[in-house]
Amino acid sequence: MTSGMTRGLKGGLILAVALLVAIVLSLMIGQIRLSAFDLWNGLLTGKGPGALTLRVLRGPGIATAIGAGAALGASGAIFQILLRNPLAAPDIMGFTSGAGLAVVCGVLAGTTLPMPLLSAAGGLAAACAVAIMAIKRDGTQVPITLILVGLGIGFLTTAAHSFIVTRLPPEQAAEAQRWLTGSLAARDWGHAGQVFGCGAVLAVILAIQVRALGLLELGDDLATGLGLKSNRARLKLAGTGVLLAATGVAVAGPIPFIALMAGPLGMRITGATQPGGRILSAAVTGAIITVLADLAARSIVPGLQLPAGVMTGIFGAPYLLWLLSREMDAGDI
Amino acid sequence: MRAMIVAVLALVFAAALTLTVGVRDGGFALLFQALTAFDPTDPAHIAIQSIRMPRLIAGLIAGAALGMAGTIMQAITRNPLADPGILGINAGAAFAVVIGSLIAGRADNGLMAALAFPGAAAAAIAVFALGGGLKGDAGPVRLTLAGVALSAMLLSFVSAIILARNEALEVFRFWVTGSLAQAGMRPLGYMAIAAVLGAGLAIAIAPRIEALSLGSALARGLGTNPGRIQLGALVAVTALTGAAVGVAGPIAFLGLLVPRLARRVGGHVLRRELIAAAILGATILLFADTIGRILIPPAEIRVGTMTALIGAPIFIWMARRLRAGAGA
Repeated sequence: MTSGMTRGLKGGLILAVALLVAIVLSLMIGQIRLSAFDLWNGLLTGKGPGALTLRVLRGPGIATAIGAGAALGASGAIFQILLRNPLAAPDIMGFTSGAGLAVVCGVLAGTTLPMPLLSAAGGLAAACAVAIMAIKRDGTQVPITLILVGLGIGFLTTAAHSFIVTRLPPEQAAEAQRWLTGSLAARDWGHAGQVFGCGAVLAVILAIQVRALGLLELGDDLATGLGLKSNRARLKLAGTGVLLAATGVAVAGPIPFIALMAGPLGMRITGATQPGGRILSAAVTGAIITVLADLAARSIVPGLQLPAGVMTGIFGAPYLLWLLSREMDAGDI
Repeated sequence: MRAMIVAVLALVFAAALTLTVGVRDGGFALLFQALTAFDPTDPAHIAIQSIRMPRLIAGLIAGAALGMAGTIMQAITRNPLADPGILGINAGAAFAVVIGSLIAGRADNGLMAALAFPGAAAAAIAVFALGGGLKGDAGPVRLTLAGVALSAMLLSFVSAIILARNEALEVFRFWVTGSLAQAGMRPLGYMAIAAVLGAGLAIAIAPRIEALSLGSALARGLGTNPGRIQLGALVAVTALTGAAVGVAGPIAFLGLLVPRLARRVGGHVLRRELIAAAILGATILLFADTIGRILIPPAEIRVGTMTALIGAPIFIWMARRLRAGAGA
């Protein structure tokens, strides 16, 4: 137990340092390079290029990336624990692209509804569709069917995305394409406030449910024996997970593979086994991945801002392949 | 046999629609005129001959090739979810074409043709290997996920490249969602030859693929070399998919839907199923293209979007029907 504690502590420390390094690097590197000294100066005095970068140029985007990555990572961990399958992430199961579709449709239709609301509606609709369609004739749900049906919903929303993009005039089409790939360019403090505000509320709601998640992990019979209404608890947890993912999508677009990667990577580093620890480490790992993906996307080709989702696609897909081969060796799928 | 005749009639009807829809007036009479007594001063005749004819040919090549490729893939992997789009073979061809054109700094027809096939072959081998095919247990779920992952990665690269050059967004749309528009600019001739060669090979080895589906041991007993048949199937799928991508871009889900219908028409004999798949694939693709053109005039819905909108629900329906234990 003690060794597990120290490992957890060490892992937590590693994650915290990694996040800090990612943030500092992301602040320093860009079209104009800054030294750590410039940043420090800007932070202390509030003047000079460092302060401008922190307050206007890179600060808001990085803050948004942290919030969105944490929300997506936590959401992924919830579903991975709930369905006991590392492939069960909201981006694989089509929830994030459903949320993204709803946002684009809402914006194009000219609604004044706030983006998180649109995103939540889309995510919940996609999740409900997947959950209902994955029910087999005998009334049971198997994780692998959920994942496959979710892929199908993802195909459908992707087709809808490209349908919409073709209908737009070129300028708007390029913008929509960027957003739907998942991008953190030109985000302001409003975005950051939004994702942290919604995220904080959901984090509290999630914290209340962590005990139930732990009980569900023991198996339905045991959980029910311990006084848990397991179906209702599962539904609430899934709802919270979808809303967390939607919170991330509302500010960063349906950025792929972060929710899938964050949980297992975080668990590997911290060695966390309890749901609370797993979700927390997934959230921090998600933030790190998103900050680094955004950094890579805007600095890998000089003078060009790629959407961050391109980077998570390039690095996340090999991870999915690796995961697949490992799961196959273990005989799980 | 009767089903086959119906399918052929449907194809003829779909082809006629492809050539006539969009003509301001005249309908089939004008079409007949343009084909039999071409008048080079009549804009309607020119539209039919120089815009819609290439479109029809591209649709015929891509539809027939994808239908056959899907049928072969489903037969050899015994996987009802196998489709060149879902398994990432389309993405491999598109990726090779985009990267190659970028490195070479040009995008002419010969180059595109030379790139699409190695790209398709590499992706096919990669998905088969990653999906567990080398260990001989490529279940539908594994292959599907491997294909999705590979597509996601390759298409991310393609978007990165294309977004880096803003002027290329139109090209981007073509290589990410297939389309039959501007078919006259594609290497139709090369691709037709490749498709015919692939189709010929597929039909030639069809009986041996059927023997293989009885199990490797039994197939060997019947004098079939499983490795060689699999290689043959790979070459056929590559030629067919590469040809389809070359003329129409990556079109998904056609290869998922068509083999099921072809089984009904072809009556569970693979050779006949393949021929039915070619006819049905072309028919469905042409219909989908025509619907995409008339749904929201004057804009056009790309045929790749249409097949995905039709095909994704079918994918879901089939995923539900997979038995939990069936290689899952």
